[in-house]
Amino acid sequence: MLRKSVIALALVSAVAVVGQASAHHSFAMFDPAKVVTLQGKVKEFRWVNPHVSLFVDVAGPAGQSGVWAVELTSPGNLTRLGWTRQLLKSGDRVSVEINPLRDGQHGGGFRKVTLLDSGQVLQANLINIEKAAGSH
Amino acid sequence: MSRFIARALATAALIAATPLFAATDDPVIAPPTAADWAAIAKLPDWSGTWIPDVHNQVAQITTNPTPWKPEVQKQVDYWTTEEHEGRPRGLLVDCLPHGMPSLMLITHNAQEFLFTPGRVTLLGESDGNRLRRIWTDGRAMPADPDPSFHGYSVGHWEGDTLVVETKGILPQVFLATGEAVGIPTGGDTVIHERIHLIEPDTLADDLVIEAPHILTRAWETRRLFHRTRKRSFEIVEGVCRQGDFEPTTDKWGNPTYTLTRQQDGNVLPPSDKPTPDR
Repeated sequence: MLRKSVIALALVSAVAVVGQASAHHSFAMFDPAKVVTLQGKVKEFRWVNPHVSLFVDVAGPAGQSGVWAVELTSPGNLTRLGWTRQLLKSGDRVSVEINPLRDGQHGGGFRKVTLLDSGQVLQANLINIEKAAGSH
Repeated sequence: MSRFIARALATAALIAATPLFAATDDPVIAPPTAADWAAIAKLPDWSGTWIPDVHNQVAQITTNPTPWKPEVQKQVDYWTTEEHEGRPRGLLVDCLPHGMPSLMLITHNAQEFLFTPGRVTLLGESDGNRLRRIWTDGRAMPADPDPSFHGYSVGHWEGDTLVVETKGILPQVFLATGEAVGIPTGGDTVIHERIHLIEPDTLADDLVIEAPHILTRAWETRRLFHRTRKRSFEIVEGVCRQGDFEPTTDKWGNPTYTLTRQQDGNVLPPSDKPTPDR
Protein backbone atom coordinates (compact mmCIF):
# COMPACT_ATOMS: atom_id res chain seq x y z
CA MET A 1 0.00 0.00 0.00
CA LEU A 2 2.79 2.33 0.94
CA ARG A 3 4.73 1.52 -2.18
CA LYS A 4 1.62 1.94 -4.31
CA SER A 5 0.85 5.35 -2.85
CA VAL A 6 4.41 6.51 -3.28
CA ILE A 7 4.45 5.47 -6.92
CA ALA A 8 1.14 7.25 -7.48
CA LEU A 9 2.53 10.36 -5.86
CA ALA A 10 5.66 10.15 -7.96
CA LEU A 11 3.62 9.85 -11.14
CA VAL A 12 1.43 12.79 -10.25
CA SER A 13 4.41 14.89 -9.29
CA ALA A 14 6.34 13.89 -12.39
CA VAL A 15 3.45 15.00 -14.57
CA ALA A 16 3.35 18.32 -12.77
CA VAL A 17 7.08 18.78 -13.07
CA VAL A 18 7.51 17.82 -16.69
CA GLY A 19 4.32 19.30 -18.05
CA GLN A 20 4.38 22.63 -16.30
CA ALA A 21 6.59 24.67 -14.08
CA SER A 22 4.53 24.60 -10.94
CA ALA A 23 4.81 26.42 -7.68
CA HIS A 24 2.34 27.76 -5.16
CA HIS A 25 -0.06 24.92 -5.89
CA SER A 26 -0.30 21.55 -7.55
CA PHE A 27 -1.37 21.60 -11.18
CA ALA A 28 -3.56 18.53 -10.75
CA MET A 29 -6.73 20.58 -11.28
CA PHE A 30 -5.68 20.74 -14.91
CA ASP A 31 -6.25 17.60 -16.98
CA PRO A 32 -2.88 16.52 -18.44
CA ALA A 33 -4.62 13.96 -20.67
CA LYS A 34 -6.52 16.67 -22.54
CA VAL A 35 -5.08 19.33 -24.80
CA VAL A 36 -7.28 22.21 -25.94
CA THR A 37 -6.10 24.68 -28.58
CA LEU A 38 -7.53 28.17 -28.27
CA GLN A 39 -7.38 30.70 -31.08
CA GLY A 40 -8.04 34.32 -30.25
CA LYS A 41 -6.58 37.64 -29.20
CA VAL A 42 -4.60 38.42 -26.09
CA LYS A 43 -6.85 40.33 -23.71
CA GLU A 44 -4.31 40.69 -20.93
CA PHE A 45 -0.88 39.31 -20.07
CA ARG A 46 -0.59 39.60 -16.30
CA TRP A 47 3.10 39.42 -15.30
CA VAL A 48 2.72 38.74 -11.57
CA ASN A 49 3.78 36.32 -8.87
CA PRO A 50 3.31 33.57 -8.05
CA HIS A 51 1.89 32.75 -11.51
CA VAL A 52 1.85 34.77 -14.69
CA SER A 53 -1.55 34.57 -16.37
CA LEU A 54 -2.63 35.02 -19.95
CA PHE A 55 -6.20 36.01 -20.76
CA VAL A 56 -7.28 35.12 -24.28
CA ASP A 57 -10.48 36.32 -25.92
CA VAL A 58 -11.69 33.41 -28.03
CA ALA A 59 -14.31 34.03 -30.74
CA GLY A 60 -15.36 30.40 -31.19
CA PRO A 61 -16.23 27.61 -31.80
CA ALA A 62 -19.38 27.17 -29.74
CA GLY A 63 -18.54 26.24 -26.18
CA GLN A 64 -15.13 27.84 -26.43
CA SER A 65 -16.12 31.45 -27.07
CA GLY A 66 -15.35 33.96 -24.34
CA VAL A 67 -12.35 34.81 -22.24
CA TRP A 68 -10.04 32.01 -21.07
CA ALA A 69 -7.54 32.32 -18.21
CA VAL A 70 -4.30 30.45 -18.81
CA GLU A 71 -1.85 29.95 -15.99
CA LEU A 72 1.93 29.91 -16.40
CA THR A 73 4.88 29.75 -14.02
CA SER A 74 6.40 32.70 -12.13
CA PRO A 75 7.93 35.82 -13.73
CA GLY A 76 11.33 34.74 -12.42
CA ASN A 77 11.13 31.34 -14.07
CA LEU A 78 9.81 32.78 -17.34
CA THR A 79 12.66 35.31 -17.38
CA ARG A 80 15.08 32.38 -17.18
CA LEU A 81 13.46 30.91 -20.27
CA GLY A 82 13.87 34.15 -22.23
CA TRP A 83 10.39 35.57 -21.73
CA THR A 84 9.71 39.22 -20.93
CA ARG A 85 6.57 41.00 -19.80
CA GLN A 86 6.43 42.72 -23.20
CA LEU A 87 6.44 39.44 -25.13
CA LEU A 88 2.66 39.22 -25.41
CA LYS A 89 0.58 42.35 -25.91
CA SER A 90 -3.10 43.04 -25.79
CA GLY A 91 -4.56 42.41 -29.23
CA ASP A 92 -1.88 39.93 -30.37
CA ARG A 93 -3.40 37.09 -32.40
CA VAL A 94 -2.40 33.81 -30.75
CA SER A 95 -2.97 30.09 -30.74
CA VAL A 96 -2.59 28.69 -27.24
CA GLU A 97 -2.34 25.03 -26.21
CA ILE A 98 -3.54 24.31 -22.69
CA ASN A 99 -4.42 21.48 -20.36
CA PRO A 100 -7.95 22.53 -19.43
CA LEU A 101 -9.46 22.73 -15.97
CA ARG A 102 -11.11 19.42 -15.20
CA ASP A 103 -14.37 21.10 -14.11
CA GLY A 104 -15.02 22.64 -17.52
CA GLN A 105 -14.49 26.27 -16.61
CA HIS A 106 -12.63 28.41 -19.16
CA GLY A 107 -9.18 28.06 -17.72
CA GLY A 108 -6.15 25.88 -18.04
CA GLY A 109 -2.48 25.22 -17.54
CA PHE A 110 -0.19 26.63 -20.22
CA ARG A 111 1.57 24.33 -22.70
CA LYS A 112 2.51 26.44 -25.71
CA VAL A 113 1.63 29.68 -27.46
CA THR A 114 2.12 30.56 -31.13
CA LEU A 115 2.07 34.20 -32.14
CA LEU A 116 0.12 33.92 -35.37
CA ASP A 117 1.48 37.06 -37.01
CA SER A 118 5.15 36.15 -36.54
CA GLY A 119 4.99 32.37 -36.20
CA GLN A 120 7.04 32.57 -32.99
CA VAL A 121 6.40 29.62 -30.65
CA LEU A 122 6.91 30.00 -26.89
CA GLN A 123 7.03 27.28 -24.26
CA ALA A 124 7.69 27.30 -20.51
CA ASN A 125 8.78 23.94 -19.15
CA LEU A 126 10.45 23.63 -15.78
CA ILE A 127 12.70 20.95 -17.17
CA ASN A 128 14.38 23.59 -19.34
CA ILE A 129 14.97 25.82 -16.34
CA GLU A 130 16.63 22.95 -14.51
CA LYS A 131 18.72 22.20 -17.59
CA ALA A 132 19.76 25.84 -17.78
CA ALA A 133 20.82 25.62 -14.13
CA GLY A 134 22.94 22.58 -14.92
CA SER A 135 21.02 19.84 -13.14
CA HIS A 136 20.50 17.69 -16.22
CA MET B 1 -2.18 67.60 42.41
CA SER B 2 -1.81 66.08 45.83
CA ARG B 3 1.54 64.78 46.97
CA PHE B 4 0.00 61.26 47.20
CA ILE B 5 -1.15 61.27 43.57
CA ALA B 6 2.17 62.67 42.37
CA ARG B 7 4.05 59.92 44.19
CA ALA B 8 1.72 57.24 42.75
CA LEU B 9 2.23 58.53 39.22
CA ALA B 10 5.99 58.60 39.67
CA THR B 11 5.95 55.01 40.92
CA ALA B 12 3.79 53.91 37.97
CA ALA B 13 6.17 55.60 35.53
CA LEU B 14 9.14 53.84 37.13
CA ILE B 15 7.43 50.45 36.85
CA ALA B 16 6.50 51.09 33.22
CA ALA B 17 10.09 51.98 32.36
CA THR B 18 11.63 48.93 34.04
CA PRO B 19 12.55 46.21 31.50
CA LEU B 20 11.03 42.79 32.11
CA PHE B 21 14.34 41.00 31.64
CA ALA B 22 17.73 41.41 33.20
CA ALA B 23 20.50 42.95 31.09
CA THR B 24 22.29 39.59 30.92
CA ASP B 25 19.24 38.04 29.21
CA ASP B 26 19.42 40.53 26.35
CA PRO B 27 23.04 40.62 25.25
CA VAL B 28 24.13 43.21 22.75
CA ILE B 29 25.52 41.86 19.48
CA ALA B 30 28.96 43.38 19.01
CA PRO B 31 29.54 45.15 15.70
CA PRO B 32 31.49 42.95 13.28
CA THR B 33 35.22 43.53 13.10
CA ALA B 34 37.49 43.37 10.07
CA ALA B 35 38.54 39.93 11.31
CA ASP B 36 34.90 38.81 11.33
CA TRP B 37 34.49 39.87 7.70
CA ALA B 38 37.83 38.25 6.79
CA ALA B 39 36.58 34.98 8.33
CA ILE B 40 33.62 35.08 5.92
CA ALA B 41 36.05 34.94 3.02
CA LYS B 42 37.41 31.63 4.30
CA LEU B 43 34.01 29.95 4.20
CA PRO B 44 33.04 27.86 1.17
CA ASP B 45 31.70 29.85 -1.74
CA TRP B 46 27.91 29.44 -1.84
CA SER B 47 27.27 32.58 -3.89
CA GLY B 48 25.03 32.53 -6.95
CA THR B 49 21.47 31.25 -7.27
CA TRP B 50 20.52 27.74 -6.22
CA ILE B 51 17.80 25.92 -8.16
CA PRO B 52 16.15 23.00 -6.34
CA ASP B 53 16.38 19.68 -8.15
CA VAL B 54 12.65 18.94 -8.31
CA HIS B 55 13.14 15.64 -10.16
CA ASN B 56 15.43 14.53 -7.40
CA GLN B 57 12.87 15.58 -4.78
CA VAL B 58 10.44 13.11 -6.36
CA ALA B 59 13.12 10.44 -6.67
CA GLN B 60 14.08 10.83 -3.02
CA ILE B 61 10.51 10.23 -1.87
CA THR B 62 10.17 7.24 -4.21
CA THR B 63 13.37 5.55 -3.09
CA ASN B 64 13.36 6.65 0.55
CA PRO B 65 9.72 7.00 1.61
CA THR B 66 8.68 9.07 4.58
CA PRO B 67 8.24 6.72 7.59
CA TRP B 68 4.70 7.81 8.36
CA LYS B 69 2.91 6.20 11.29
CA PRO B 70 0.27 3.75 10.02
CA GLU B 71 -2.66 6.00 10.96
CA VAL B 72 -0.94 8.96 9.30
CA GLN B 73 -0.23 6.90 6.19
CA LYS B 74 -4.00 6.64 5.69
CA GLN B 75 -4.22 10.43 5.57
CA VAL B 76 -1.31 10.59 3.13
CA ASP B 77 -3.02 8.02 0.91
CA TYR B 78 -6.23 10.07 1.00
CA TRP B 79 -4.52 13.32 -0.08
CA THR B 80 -2.46 11.47 -2.69
CA THR B 81 -5.64 10.03 -4.20
CA GLU B 82 -7.31 13.43 -4.10
CA GLU B 83 -4.45 14.93 -6.10
CA HIS B 84 -4.32 11.99 -8.48
CA GLU B 85 -8.02 12.42 -9.21
CA GLY B 86 -7.64 16.13 -9.90
CA ARG B 87 -8.67 17.56 -6.57
CA PRO B 88 -5.33 18.72 -5.17
CA ARG B 89 -5.20 20.06 -1.68
CA GLY B 90 -3.42 23.38 -1.97
CA LEU B 91 -0.94 23.37 0.89
CA LEU B 92 0.44 26.73 -0.20
CA VAL B 93 -2.48 28.57 -1.79
CA ASP B 94 -3.18 30.54 1.39
CA CYS B 95 0.32 31.97 1.04
CA LEU B 96 1.38 30.98 4.52
CA PRO B 97 5.04 29.92 4.44
CA HIS B 98 6.13 26.39 3.60
CA GLY B 99 7.66 26.13 7.06
CA MET B 100 10.41 23.71 7.98
CA PRO B 101 11.30 21.16 6.82
CA SER B 102 8.95 21.49 3.82
CA LEU B 103 10.78 24.56 2.52
CA MET B 104 13.87 22.44 1.94
CA LEU B 105 11.93 19.32 0.92
CA ILE B 106 9.50 20.54 -1.74
CA THR B 107 10.32 24.08 -2.81
CA HIS B 108 10.29 24.69 -6.56
CA ASN B 109 11.82 28.11 -6.19
CA ALA B 110 15.26 29.60 -6.52
CA GLN B 111 17.22 30.25 -3.32
CA GLU B 112 20.28 32.22 -2.32
CA PHE B 113 22.58 32.12 0.70
CA LEU B 114 23.92 35.29 2.26
CA PHE B 115 26.90 35.07 4.61
CA THR B 116 27.36 37.87 7.12
CA PRO B 117 29.16 37.78 10.47
CA GLY B 118 27.23 35.63 12.90
CA ARG B 119 24.58 34.31 10.56
CA VAL B 120 23.71 32.56 7.33
CA THR B 121 20.53 33.83 5.67
CA LEU B 122 18.57 31.76 3.18
CA LEU B 123 16.34 33.79 0.90
CA GLY B 124 13.83 32.32 -1.52
CA GLU B 125 11.98 33.70 -4.50
CA SER B 126 8.41 33.00 -5.56
CA ASP B 127 5.74 32.06 -3.02
CA GLY B 128 6.73 34.97 -0.84
CA ASN B 129 10.52 35.31 -0.79
CA ARG B 130 10.89 32.77 2.00
CA LEU B 131 13.44 33.59 4.70
CA ARG B 132 15.50 31.48 7.09
CA ARG B 133 18.01 32.90 9.54
CA ILE B 134 20.64 30.46 10.79
CA TRP B 135 22.59 31.91 13.70
CA THR B 136 26.29 31.02 13.58
CA ASP B 137 27.51 33.35 16.31
CA GLY B 138 27.96 30.63 18.87
CA ARG B 139 24.69 31.16 20.69
CA ALA B 140 22.88 28.25 22.28
CA MET B 141 19.46 27.11 21.14
CA PRO B 142 16.93 28.97 23.31
CA ALA B 143 15.20 26.73 25.84
CA ASP B 144 11.74 27.52 24.47
CA PRO B 145 11.86 29.57 21.26
CA ASP B 146 8.66 31.27 20.14
CA PRO B 147 7.09 28.92 17.57
CA SER B 148 7.36 30.06 13.97
CA PHE B 149 6.95 28.57 10.51
CA HIS B 150 10.64 28.12 9.83
CA GLY B 151 11.64 27.73 13.46
CA TYR B 152 14.73 28.88 15.29
CA SER B 153 17.96 27.71 13.66
CA VAL B 154 21.38 27.59 15.24
CA GLY B 155 24.35 26.48 13.20
CA HIS B 156 28.09 26.08 13.15
CA TRP B 157 30.72 25.18 10.58
CA GLU B 158 32.47 21.82 10.61
CA GLY B 159 35.02 22.36 7.90
CA ASP B 160 33.05 23.24 4.79
CA THR B 161 29.79 21.82 6.15
CA LEU B 162 27.14 24.00 7.78
CA VAL B 163 25.61 22.01 10.63
CA VAL B 164 22.19 23.29 11.67
CA GLU B 165 19.66 22.43 14.32
CA THR B 166 16.13 23.83 14.08
CA LYS B 167 13.45 23.81 16.76
CA GLY B 168 10.46 25.97 17.67
CA ILE B 169 8.33 25.06 14.64
CA LEU B 170 4.58 25.63 14.74
CA PRO B 171 2.55 22.39 15.09
CA GLN B 172 0.39 23.44 12.12
CA VAL B 173 3.38 23.36 9.76
CA PHE B 174 3.14 20.55 7.21
CA LEU B 175 5.66 17.83 6.67
CA ALA B 176 5.03 17.80 2.93
CA THR B 177 6.05 15.44 0.17
CA GLY B 178 4.49 17.61 -2.55
CA GLU B 179 2.43 20.76 -2.99
CA ALA B 180 -0.80 18.80 -2.39
CA VAL B 181 0.29 16.12 0.09
CA GLY B 182 1.43 16.94 3.60
CA ILE B 183 0.53 16.34 7.23
CA PRO B 184 0.81 18.84 10.11
CA THR B 185 3.65 17.78 12.36
CA GLY B 186 1.73 18.39 15.57
CA GLY B 187 4.75 20.02 17.18
CA ASP B 188 8.00 18.88 18.82
CA THR B 189 9.75 18.82 15.45
CA VAL B 190 13.54 18.87 15.52
CA ILE B 191 15.51 19.10 12.29
CA HIS B 192 19.21 18.41 11.91
CA GLU B 193 20.87 19.49 8.67
CA ARG B 194 24.32 19.16 7.18
CA ILE B 195 24.57 21.45 4.17
CA HIS B 196 27.62 21.07 1.97
CA LEU B 197 28.89 21.08 -1.59
CA ILE B 198 29.16 17.64 -3.17
CA GLU B 199 30.24 19.03 -6.54
CA PRO B 200 31.47 22.52 -7.46
CA ASP B 201 27.93 23.62 -8.33
CA THR B 202 25.79 21.11 -6.44
CA LEU B 203 24.77 21.64 -2.84
CA ALA B 204 23.37 18.82 -0.72
CA ASP B 205 21.16 19.31 2.31
CA ASP B 206 21.29 16.12 4.37
CA LEU B 207 18.34 16.26 6.73
CA VAL B 208 17.37 14.22 9.76
CA ILE B 209 13.76 15.04 10.60
CA GLU B 210 12.32 14.19 13.98
CA ALA B 211 8.54 14.55 13.96
CA PRO B 212 7.49 12.17 16.73
CA HIS B 213 3.73 12.72 16.39
CA ILE B 214 3.57 11.55 12.77
CA LEU B 215 6.71 9.52 12.02
CA THR B 216 7.73 6.11 13.32
CA ARG B 217 11.39 7.15 13.41
CA ALA B 218 13.65 10.01 12.41
CA TRP B 219 13.63 10.39 8.62
CA GLU B 220 16.97 10.84 6.93
CA THR B 221 16.71 12.33 3.48
CA ARG B 222 18.72 14.49 1.07
CA ARG B 223 17.79 17.41 -1.16
CA LEU B 224 19.93 18.83 -3.96
CA PHE B 225 20.29 22.35 -5.27
CA HIS B 226 22.17 23.34 -8.43
CA ARG B 227 24.02 26.62 -8.84
CA THR B 228 23.87 29.03 -11.68
CA ARG B 229 25.47 32.44 -11.94
CA LYS B 230 23.49 33.67 -14.93
CA ARG B 231 21.99 37.10 -14.43
CA SER B 232 18.59 35.82 -15.57
CA PHE B 233 18.60 33.59 -12.48
CA GLU B 234 19.10 36.39 -9.98
CA ILE B 235 16.47 36.27 -7.26
CA VAL B 236 13.57 38.65 -7.89
CA GLU B 237 10.63 39.78 -5.80
CA GLY B 238 8.12 37.01 -5.19
CA VAL B 239 5.05 38.47 -3.49
CA CYS B 240 2.86 35.45 -2.90
CA ARG B 241 -0.56 37.15 -2.91
CA GLN B 242 0.04 39.47 -5.86
CA GLY B 243 -1.80 37.05 -8.11
CA ASP B 244 -4.89 37.29 -5.92
CA PHE B 245 -5.42 40.80 -7.25
CA GLU B 246 -5.86 42.52 -10.58
CA PRO B 247 -5.14 46.14 -11.46
CA THR B 248 -7.92 48.71 -11.34
CA THR B 249 -8.29 52.40 -10.57
CA ASP B 250 -9.90 54.12 -7.63
CA LYS B 251 -12.50 56.87 -7.93
CA TRP B 252 -9.74 59.45 -8.39
CA GLY B 253 -8.11 57.48 -11.16
CA ASN B 254 -5.16 56.23 -9.10
CA PRO B 255 -3.81 52.81 -10.02
CA THR B 256 -4.74 50.28 -7.36
CA TYR B 257 -5.75 46.64 -6.91
CA THR B 258 -8.96 44.71 -6.53
CA LEU B 259 -9.45 41.02 -5.80
CA THR B 260 -9.42 38.87 -8.90
CA ARG B 261 -11.61 35.85 -9.61
CA GLN B 262 -9.88 32.60 -8.79
CA GLN B 263 -10.31 29.09 -7.52
CA ASP B 264 -7.84 26.94 -5.64
CA GLY B 265 -5.15 29.52 -6.27
CA ASN B 266 -5.47 29.80 -10.03
CA VAL B 267 -7.10 32.70 -11.81
CA LEU B 268 -10.34 32.36 -13.75
CA PRO B 269 -11.84 34.51 -16.48
CA PRO B 270 -14.39 37.14 -15.49
CA SER B 271 -17.84 35.68 -14.92
CA ASP B 272 -21.21 36.68 -13.57
CA LYS B 273 -21.55 33.16 -12.23
CA PRO B 274 -20.27 32.43 -8.72
CA THR B 275 -17.15 30.33 -8.35
CA PRO B 276 -18.23 26.72 -7.71
CA ASP B 277 -17.44 25.21 -4.36
CA ARG B 278 -14.99 22.38 -4.37
